[in-house]
Amino acid sequence: MKTRNAFKHEEVFVQYICEQKERFYLLAYSYTKNEQDALDVVQDSIQKAMLSLDRLENVESMKSWFYKIVVRTAIDFLRKHKRLQVTDDDTLQYLTPAQEDVYENIDLEHALDELPQTYREVVILHFFEDLKLADVANILNIKMSTAKSRLYRALKLLKIHLHDVKGETAHE
Amino acid sequence: MNEKLKELEKQYNEVPIPKELDFVVKNALRQGKKKKKRSLQWLLGSAAAAAMLFTAGLNVSPAMARTLSEIPLVGSVVKVLTWIEYEVAEDTYDATIKVPSIENLENKDLSKTLNEKYRSEGKALYDSFIDEVSDLKENGGGHVGVDSGYDIKTDNDQILSIGRYIVNTVGSSSTVMHYDTIDKQNEILITLPMLFKDDSYIKTISENIIEQMHEQAAADSDKVYWVKGGSLPDEEVIDGFTTIKAEQQFYISDKGKLVISFDKYEVAPGYMGIVEFEIPTEVLKNDLVSSKYIH
Repeated sequence: MKTRNAFKHEEVFVQYICEQKERFYLLAYSYTKNEQDALDVVQDSIQKAMLSLDRLENVESMKSWFYKIVVRTAIDFLRKHKRLQVTDDDTLQYLTPAQEDVYENIDLEHALDELPQTYREVVILHFFEDLKLADVANILNIKMSTAKSRLYRALKLLKIHLHDVKGETAHE
Repeated sequence: MNEKLKELEKQYNEVPIPKELDFVVKNALRQGKKKKKRSLQWLLGSAAAAAMLFTAGLNVSPAMARTLSEIPLVGSVVKVLTWIEYEVAEDTYDATIKVPSIENLENKDLSKTLNEKYRSEGKALYDSFIDEVSDLKENGGGHVGVDSGYDIKTDNDQILSIGRYIVNTVGSSSTVMHYDTIDKQNEILITLPMLFKDDSYIKTISENIIEQMHEQAAADSDKVYWVKGGSLPDEEVIDGFTTIKAEQQFYISDKGKLVISFDKYEVAPGYMGIVEFEIPTEVLKNDLVSSKYIH
């Protein structure tokens, strides 16, 4: 019975949220770039998660499950507030070569901020939040191959050489 | 890890964490719990079904609806029941719309007016949700939710105050409250203006609320209101609170106090949620018509 999961998971969830709240805030902030909005995103994500805890199959996947909610809430938020033009993949592909030139000389100070969101989120989730690439793909609702190519491109834009980077990415 | 990446990670982690985060998180966890308890009996029934569910209440099976949702009111005949419940439970689309119904008022015109209003608003909310969902589906999907229901704020010998809320979740959530307050003895609907001799109450109440906003913000740094002369620098307050509307949402508490309510985002940042101010009767006494309701 699914409802039973909700009870079983709730305790774990509350503890997890309390311990990791700053991580969620940072993630939300990387989208909203604004304190108040990031707080709103964190709040809404928690409430949404509480309501669908019964749909969480097992506790081990709580991390990527909750990150997914935060990412979706943040993106919905940006969409609603029209601060972001959502581009489909084809358009993105089409535009990418031009963007590459623009971002070639990113100085390190604002490098992350200047990275397009689709690349930035992959870097943040994989490297800073320590999520496996498969989980990153799941969280962002993209194919594994897309996640991988975005990560490569992001590193290229940041002028980070792959062989310097930790194991998983280089060997996959 | 690569040096550059390390530097980037450091920058990422150095974003200052606002002190309100703690408060926001605790609040969200608490509200989440409350919400879940409230909808549990419905969850039990609906969790199994993945597709669209339509739960009809009272009008299909009166006996069942009555046992499920009758609110026991000691020593009063006027009752509030759940008339109908709309429910949608799909992966990224959630709706729970509970429509109240006021029963056993002698004044049939009053109960008819209120109940028809509740029903048509509930139906309209459900219809617009369905429209929005089909719109979203055509455009590649998304998250959208609506949760609507009611809280009995006060129910004593004299007063019935019922608050209906609508929580819209599209990215950020917004919450709207509508109150109706009924004098059960005379069976009339109480409006804010009719409580007062003239419209000077607007100024009296507004000034008191501004005072309370300043006091609360000074006493507790987690509390922020959009009002000038308070904790926020004046230039950051755009479109701050200056006055209540003549028909501002309100209810009368069990102790006979006037409570003024503001929707989420109306006078404060989103994490403050719905905010309420109880106005001390002392402040109002010169403006009140009588001390019958407010005392």
